[in-house]
Amino acid sequence: MTHGHVPFRRSYKPFRGPFDPCPPIGVKYYVTPPNLFIGFQPPNFKQFSAIEALRKGTLWVPFYDYYENPYKK
Amino acid sequence: MAQPLSPDYYKQLEEIQAVDFVIFELVLYLDTHPNDSQAIEQYNHYAAHSLKLKIEFEAKHGPLRFGMPMRNDQRWEWSEAPWPWQV
Repeated sequence: MTHGHVPFRRSYKPFRGPFDPCPPIGVKYYVTPPNLFIGFQPPNFKQFSAIEALRKGTLWVPFYDYYENPYKK
Repeated sequence: MAQPLSPDYYKQLEEIQAVDFVIFELVLYLDTHPNDSQAIEQYNHYAAHSLKLKIEFEAKHGPLRFGMPMRNDQRWEWSEAPWPWQV
């Protein structure tokens, strides 16, 4: 299922048997970056400015994926 | 010991870094979109800008790129501090 408020993250709940001695892990998250959904890049994508692109790690706005630790609340 | 670096040194260096990053991104984009003329135009603009920035930087702060003409032919500045990891 897609994680609600955090884009490009999906989560699942690992199965836990009744005899599992360990504490439940709860929900696990994995990253689904934007490039999975865009495919071949169309021309004239919106761009960041040079300095901003250096900070964000990509020149193209739609490819930007801000990583935020979903476990740290 | 070389005196501490001026903030302007870092500012110019950061700008060069940003412009070069954009060039890398455009090169990767153009590899898969060879006839996007608008992107080529932007690439040329940034390439010229990067060259200008580097020439200015080297005139002001000393050698930056390997194999470029040195501004001072009395003193070999290439091996002087600060080295890249000391900046």
